[in-house]
Amino acid sequence: MKIIACYSNKGGVGKTATAVNLSYALADAGQRTLLCDLDPQGASSFYFRVKPSKKLTETKFFDDVERFTKSIRGSDYDNLDILPANMTFRDFDVFLSRMKNSRSRLKKALKAVKSDYDVILLDCPPNISTLSENVFSAADGIVVPVIPTTLSQRTFEQLEEFFREHDLPVNKLHAFFSMSQGIKSLHGQTMEEMRKAHKKRFLNTQIAFTSDIERMGVHRAPVIATSPRSAAAVAYRELHDEVMERLGKA
Amino acid sequence: MPFPSVPIFLVPAEALTAFAGATTGKLTKHMTRSEEDMPFALLDTFDETLRQSGMCLLQAGGELTLWTADGEVLTQTGVDQPAGFVADLAEGPVKLALACVPELRSLIPLAQGRLQTAQLALLDKEGKTQARARFHILTPDLGHRIAIAQLQGLRGYDKAFAQLQADLLGAGAVPYADRHPLIALLPEHAPYVAKPDLELEADATVFDTANAIIAAYLPVARQNEQGVVDDIDVEFLHDYRIALRKIRSVVSLFKGVYSDKQTERLKQRFSDLMAPTGRLRDLDVYLLERDFFFDLVPQSLHGGLERMFDMFAAERTVAHQKLAKHLKSKGYATEITKLVSLFEAPKRLHRGPDADSQAHDFASALIWKRYRKICKIAEAIDDQTEDEEVHELRIHCKKLRYLMEFFAPAFPAEEFKSLIKPLKKLQDNLGLFNDYSVQQDSLRAFLDGLGTDDHAGNMQLAQSVGALIAVLHQRQLGERQKVVESFQSFNSPETQQTFRDLFHGGEG
Repeated sequence: MKIIACYSNKGGVGKTATAVNLSYALADAGQRTLLCDLDPQGASSFYFRVKPSKKLTETKFFDDVERFTKSIRGSDYDNLDILPANMTFRDFDVFLSRMKNSRSRLKKALKAVKSDYDVILLDCPPNISTLSENVFSAADGIVVPVIPTTLSQRTFEQLEEFFREHDLPVNKLHAFFSMSQGIKSLHGQTMEEMRKAHKKRFLNTQIAFTSDIERMGVHRAPVIATSPRSAAAVAYRELHDEVMERLGKA
Repeated sequence: MPFPSVPIFLVPAEALTAFAGATTGKLTKHMTRSEEDMPFALLDTFDETLRQSGMCLLQAGGELTLWTADGEVLTQTGVDQPAGFVADLAEGPVKLALACVPELRSLIPLAQGRLQTAQLALLDKEGKTQARARFHILTPDLGHRIAIAQLQGLRGYDKAFAQLQADLLGAGAVPYADRHPLIALLPEHAPYVAKPDLELEADATVFDTANAIIAAYLPVARQNEQGVVDDIDVEFLHDYRIALRKIRSVVSLFKGVYSDKQTERLKQRFSDLMAPTGRLRDLDVYLLERDFFFDLVPQSLHGGLERMFDMFAAERTVAHQKLAKHLKSKGYATEITKLVSLFEAPKRLHRGPDADSQAHDFASALIWKRYRKICKIAEAIDDQTEDEEVHELRIHCKKLRYLMEFFAPAFPAEEFKSLIKPLKKLQDNLGLFNDYSVQQDSLRAFLDGLGTDDHAGNMQLAQSVGALIAVLHQRQLGERQKVVESFQSFNSPETQQTFRDLFHGGEG
C-alpha cells in the first residue's frame, strides 16, 4: 500500500483539484483508493458531493476502528472511497501507522469488509504543523503543486528547508508546476530557473491554468470524469503516470 | 467501492417505468436507459446445467454476462460468435466460471429477444449517488418481459441501499436465488429431464409400471430429435438412444407383462427405431476418443491416426445426414407418433400372464434371479476364464442395474442406494474392459475395410492402428485382472444381506 500526500504550504495553488483528479486517475487505473480530506479549507469532499461527517469531530475517533470504517463514504466512481473530514485529525499519524501495519486491527477490519486500499491519498492542510510532519514521514511521496512565481519559489525552498531540518528525505518531494500560464513570460522564466535550482524535485508534467479546472466547482466532479479529453484531464493523467512511475522506483 | 456481494433481483419490467423520477424521503430516483436495444440470448445446455447450478448466462452485443449463485456478476467481452462449447470460448472470467458445464454439451439459446439496459441512481440533494442498480431489461420473443436488477450499495450509505431493496421488493421484485430468469421469462417452459422421476403407487401392477416407464421415456427420446438433426452436440443422440434402450429393456426384461406376440412386436418396433442411429453413435464415440488414442501411441505414429480420424470425420458427416433425413421423414414421424399414443392409452396393449402382478413382488423375483445369476457367473471367473464369460457378466450387471432403476420407486431409497453404488463401481470396471475390447474390434474392422488403391497410405495407417490395438489389448488385460477383485468388493457380506432382505424375504 502506498500513501501519497498532496501538500502545499501556500494556499490557492490547485492542491485540492490535484488531489481530486489524482485520486480519480488512480481509481480509474484499478487502484483501490481512499482519498482523505484533511484540509478544512479544501473541498475535496465537496467535489465528490460527500457531506462532512459530524461524528468525525469526536476525539477518541481513531481508537475506534469500527467508527472509522463507518465514516468512509463510497464515491460515485468504482475503486474510489472518500474519508470526508472537518476536524483537526490530531491523531492522524496514529491512523497512518496503523494503515501501514498489516497486522493492525484497523487494517484487519478493512480487509474484513474487502475495503483494503492500494493507495491512500491525503489532501493536506496548507500549513506546516505536527500533522504535516507526521504525514511527511508516513507518506511514500509528497506531491507539491507550485505556481511558477517568485513567491512560490520561496515557499518551496522553505519546504525543502523544513525537510532538511527535520531529517526528512527530500527525494520524497515531487513538485510540479501548477496553474501555469503560457502567455506570461515570467512563468516560463521562473519554471526554467526552478528546474535548474531544484534538479530532480520537479516532475515534467505541468498543469496549465484552464477554465475546465475552474468549472470543477460547477460540475462537482473530477475534470477527468466530466471532460476526459480536455487538456486538463490529459495533464492530470500524465501527472498520475509520472508520480506512480517515481513511486514505483522508490 | 461496491459491497462484497451484489444482490440480484428479478423485477417485472413494467415496474421500472414508475421508478424514473420518483422521490422517497430525501432521495430521488434517476433513471438512464440505453437508447437502443439489441438482440440477446439466454444460454444454457439443453439439460440446463447452468440453471441447476444457479447460474444465468446472457449473450448480447458481443458480451457474455454471467450471474452466479452467490450473486456475483461476471462479464467477458469479445464474444461475437454464436453460442457453442465452453472450451471454444476465449479465456476470461466467464469461461473460468463455466467449468461446471460438461465438455460434451454445447451452450444453446433457451430464450431469445431484445435487450435494453438501464441504470438507476438514488441521488441525494447534493446530487451524490447513494445507491444504484443496473438493469438488463429482457423482452423475449415469446414470454414475459423481465428485468434482472443488480444492486450496488456505496460504502457508508447503507440506508439508501436498504431503501432501494425495499422499493424493488415493493414493486414485485423477487430475489434471484428464488427464481431463475429463464423461468420468469418463460413461465410455460418445461425443462428437459433425461431421467424422469417416476412415481408409482404402492399397489401398482407390472403392467402399469412398464407402461409408465415407456410413456415417460418416449418424450425424452422425442425431445432430443431436433438436437440430433441440428447436430448441436453428441449428447442429443446419446440421450435419444438411452431413452429408447431403456424402453427396449423394459419390454424384454419385464417378462410376461405383455403377451408374447405383443412383446415381440414392441421389441421389433423399438429396435427398428434404434437401428439407424448405431453407426453415427459409433463414429461419435471414435471421434471422442481421438485425444485418448493420440496419447496412447508415440508421436511417430500420429500421422496414421490423423488419416484414420479424417476418414471417420468424413464418414460421420454422411452418417449424420442420413440419420437427420430419417428423423425428418414422414415414416419416422408416423411411427413415433403411433407409439406415443399407444402408451398414452395403453388399453390397446395385449396383456401377458404377469400383467396384473404387483410391481414390488414381480421386481423382487426378477432382481433376485438376476443377482443370483451374476453371482454364479462371477464365482466361476478366475484368471483363466474366457473373455466371453466376462462379457456375459457385464451384460447381466447392466440388466440388473436397469431393473433396479426401473423399480426403484417400489423399494426403500436408502438401501437401494447402498446397492447401486458398489454395483456402479463394478460396472465401471466391466465397462472399461468392454470399451477396450470393442475399440480393438472396431479398429480391426476399420483396417479390414480399407481399400487397396492407396498402398503407402494404408501402410502408415496399419502401423499406427496396429500399435494402438496392442496398447488397447494391454489395457484390456489390466481391467480383466481387476474383475475378480471388483466383484468381491461389490458382493460384500452386507451387499449379500441387503439383496436377501430386499428381494428374497431375508432368505437365500
